[in-house]
Amino acid sequence: MIAYAFKRSILAILVALTVSMISFSLLYISSDPAIAMAGETASDADIEAIRQLYGFDRPIVVQYLDWLKKAISGDLGKSYYFRTDVSHLIAERLPTTMTLGLCAIIFAIGLAVPLGVASAIRPNSIIDRVALFLSVMGQALPSFWFALILIVLFSVNLRWLPVSGSDTWLHFVMPTIVLGYYAAPAIMRLTRTGMLEVLSTDYIRTARAKGLRPPVVLFKHALRNAIIPVVSLAAVQFGFMLGGSIVVETIFALHGAGFLAWESITRNDLPTVQGLILAFSLFYIILTLIADLINAWLDPRIRIS
Amino acid sequence: MKNKNFVLSLIGALAATMMYSPAYADKSSDTLNIAIDRELESIDNYYNTAREGIVISRMIWDGLLYRDPATNEYIPNLATSYEWIDSKTLQFDLRSDVNFHNGEKFDADDVVFTMNYLADPANGAKPARNVNWWSNAEKLGDYKVQLNLKTEFPAALEFLSGPVVMYPNEYYGEVGPEGMALNPVGTGPYMVTSVEPGKRYKFSKYAGYHSGSPKGSASIGKIVIRTIAESNTQLAELFSGGIDWIWKVKPDQAQRVEAQGNFTVKNSSTMRIGYLNFDASGRHGENPMNDVRVRKAIAHSINREGIVEALVQGESIVVNSLCFPTQFGCTQDVAKYDYNPEKAKELLAEAGYPNGFETPFLAYRNRDYAEAMINNLNAVGITVKFTYLKYAAFRDKVQDGGSPFNFGTWGSYSINDVSAITSHFQRGGKDDYSRDSEVMENLKTGDTSVDLAVRKDAYKKALSRIAEEVFMFPLWSYNTNYAFSKDLNFNPTPDEIPRFFTATWK
Amino acid sequence: MTNLPQTTSTLPVSGLKSRVLRHKGMMIGSTIVVFVVLLALLAPLIAPHDPYQQDLLNRLKPPVWDPRGSWEHIFGTDHLGRDYLSRLIYGSRISLLIGIGAALISGVIGTFLGVMAGYFGGRVDMVVTFLITVRLSMPVVLVALAVVAIVGGSLQVVIGVLGLLLWDRFAVVMRSSTLQIRSMDYVTAARAVGCSTTRILMTEVMPNVVNNLIVIATLEIAHAIILEAALSFLGLGVQPPLPSWGLMVSEGKDMMLFEPWLITIPGVALFALVLSVNLLGDGMRDVTAPENRN
Repeated sequence: MIAYAFKRSILAILVALTVSMISFSLLYISSDPAIAMAGETASDADIEAIRQLYGFDRPIVVQYLDWLKKAISGDLGKSYYFRTDVSHLIAERLPTTMTLGLCAIIFAIGLAVPLGVASAIRPNSIIDRVALFLSVMGQALPSFWFALILIVLFSVNLRWLPVSGSDTWLHFVMPTIVLGYYAAPAIMRLTRTGMLEVLSTDYIRTARAKGLRPPVVLFKHALRNAIIPVVSLAAVQFGFMLGGSIVVETIFALHGAGFLAWESITRNDLPTVQGLILAFSLFYIILTLIADLINAWLDPRIRIS
Repeated sequence: MKNKNFVLSLIGALAATMMYSPAYADKSSDTLNIAIDRELESIDNYYNTAREGIVISRMIWDGLLYRDPATNEYIPNLATSYEWIDSKTLQFDLRSDVNFHNGEKFDADDVVFTMNYLADPANGAKPARNVNWWSNAEKLGDYKVQLNLKTEFPAALEFLSGPVVMYPNEYYGEVGPEGMALNPVGTGPYMVTSVEPGKRYKFSKYAGYHSGSPKGSASIGKIVIRTIAESNTQLAELFSGGIDWIWKVKPDQAQRVEAQGNFTVKNSSTMRIGYLNFDASGRHGENPMNDVRVRKAIAHSINREGIVEALVQGESIVVNSLCFPTQFGCTQDVAKYDYNPEKAKELLAEAGYPNGFETPFLAYRNRDYAEAMINNLNAVGITVKFTYLKYAAFRDKVQDGGSPFNFGTWGSYSINDVSAITSHFQRGGKDDYSRDSEVMENLKTGDTSVDLAVRKDAYKKALSRIAEEVFMFPLWSYNTNYAFSKDLNFNPTPDEIPRFFTATWK
Repeated sequence: MTNLPQTTSTLPVSGLKSRVLRHKGMMIGSTIVVFVVLLALLAPLIAPHDPYQQDLLNRLKPPVWDPRGSWEHIFGTDHLGRDYLSRLIYGSRISLLIGIGAALISGVIGTFLGVMAGYFGGRVDMVVTFLITVRLSMPVVLVALAVVAIVGGSLQVVIGVLGLLLWDRFAVVMRSSTLQIRSMDYVTAARAVGCSTTRILMTEVMPNVVNNLIVIATLEIAHAIILEAALSFLGLGVQPPLPSWGLMVSEGKDMMLFEPWLITIPGVALFALVLSVNLLGDGMRDVTAPENRN
């Protein structure tokens, strides 16, 4: 087990390094960052001063190694735009995105698992069809449109919910629904498949034959087995969500890490974009590492192969 | 569908018990809620180039002088009087009754500290143009200072009554730009009560504001400024009462908001103008734009009146001279090119392109205006390969000589002088694609002379030649739409700097 | 050797046909997809107006079902006075092109990597698995945005970027399907009689993974079309005046609170297309391998 954990961790580190390299080089082919930093009303003198101050004239490899060395010690540089530490900036914005992501994944599971179970119990029933419809719709409705429709309905017309901001939990209701809705279909499909499989196994039939009450069979025996892959999928989805909440955060003015990423891209704020890509990737890598280790611990076959 | 109904009614029940009551945000709580569309890099006046930053700066800080937005007259503010000792030396008598928000007393030391801090390029105050024209300040008495200019600088008073504001020497010396950005202290009509960088700023009326200020005391008790990037969200907030004041409302939106009748919509012209820039001198290499007949053909092909009327709307006007009409030296007596596709075709044929040609075309804002112009160009046979870029990428490409033909805009930093626009584009800088020695010569004369008649004459020569040769083709001026609560009295000013300290509740 | 048994598509053709006809989702999906493809192919014949012809005096005319509308412009006109119906019809070309183009590029990359990994195993598999892991760890939308912001959006850039980013699912599925097939008797037999690797891959492996390939391709087509809409929303989609549906939605966005049809018309079109491509993909999976429905 330790050998497997070690091997798996090395892989994670290699992946993280590769990602850092890609994101670094990707953004360095960009247009002159000095111009973006200086802003629209800056003069040529401002731009030249910035270029020298931040060392944009050095070779790219030197700049990368320099950046990596500092990144390992937790120093992601200073944001060109805000002039504060990127790590500080990310730490400040990440809680909003985390809260949103967590609410959204809980919402997605809360919506998807019961629907998945229900449609597995009665395949091809009305519930199964509704579930299928909801899940296919989740793949076809552009998220910004869905978000704006919710705003018009619940904030402008009904006035039940605040339009934007992050002050109270009510502010998170609509963003949660929008973001969570897009994670739900995959979870629902997996739950349904898992349940169908488990329900057809011998021991469930045995449990039924023994005369156990259906709810007991369903929840105590079947769901418990079917849910394991769902949990690791949810972890993956959660990782995706952090990077994917740009549109949702922009519309609901949430000022999380996703919105910061988008704004930083348009401002050519390279250290921030690099820091965020790295942070999102690391988060995903760690999540999957943990999920893999748990799975290996649960299932000895994995760690042997 | 039983399931869906159930979910809906559940949401309904939940929401009904938790009915949302926004922290209104209106007359009754004496709070003015404002939305802006971008994150400010810093609230520190000298580390910020966004227009919203200028707006906030006017609330927190004061300058030695103040330009009356109605009369454009320079009135003493933190100074009580000013005097030109010679063309490079200015002296100020200062007010003795002013305190900063933190209680620190305002005196000559603050002015000397601020001016000398800014004059040091190592401190990186920006934009550099605002602060690079004096060499130092000297203290002549507790309430008397002298400012020594590097060279003769006609626009000194303009800068001293706007972007150059006074900082508290003790406080700033202690906390620096980072401290100032998180907890700003000034002498202005509003003090900052909370800063969430890039997200939200809260202000309250400064009770101790000096009574002699030409800005006048603030009337509204509290102001909250929030960043909301998406325009639909801003409008939804306005409609649902979460926000009382927004600006930069798009023309079509403004029309509909006004038609609804629940909000006040005002439109005001700005100093920004749009232009087409051509590679007249061949910086991009040989291309059709090198030929003045082609440039004239393009000028005749664009239906500026039609675009202004249908798309730009508001108080915008077509401009013929490469500057905004109110700017000093902006003569209107230049060659004009009316919308005349037939003439454009003739000119193209004369230039050897009877069937038109294809050219790259760049733009970074107002995609719809660009598309309308592309349509005009197509009509005379010119096809374009259009690339729409973010501003940083656009400017980069243009300044590197990578664009034979582009559509840009320029706001002149709200400076009412031709030197802020024509000289930027046509005096040999990175944006200059014509590099015409005659134009450059005349602009240089205009920029450095203090004799108004000489300046005027030199600018006229330059602008006439630019129009005659169509080095750049000026399009139209821009405008801003403001939409706000009916409870609010607010008047936009032509310099596009909303002054919330003059706003009142009805 | 030429008569080696085929394992995965052993379903009798008649059974397949009846299953297709009975599969409602697939019938709806394929009807809409065929309709959109026809629109795209016959656009110049069907469109009532030139989709690029502006008329600044007739901007934002509402559609015919609105009391202010007229039959002249059935779906109204956009912010530059262009006929909305014609733009919608021509837009189907761009949206399909983006979907198919991106799926094609990512399909080629993903299939190549996946089949190599599955067939050769060992080091090759390790490298490919590593690449897939790296790819999955990168936030796609963010990377796509960063690239498009740098180089400026255009049809080619959007297709290219999406194509380079969406290959992971192809690679994962192709890898596991190839793994399965590699251990089949007929592949072993082919190897035993000395067939070249290329030949085995082309004649034995590919025909047997092509079902899965098509299913993934349809899902990725839908995915690419939706992603293009998101890019357009953020101002980084295809360059105007090309009328992609995603671009139309994002252009209509500003007036959404006042003239909702501007966003509803292209939005519904987009929704229907993506939905039906998805239904088609799901249907194909159900029909060809009913036991695998998930």
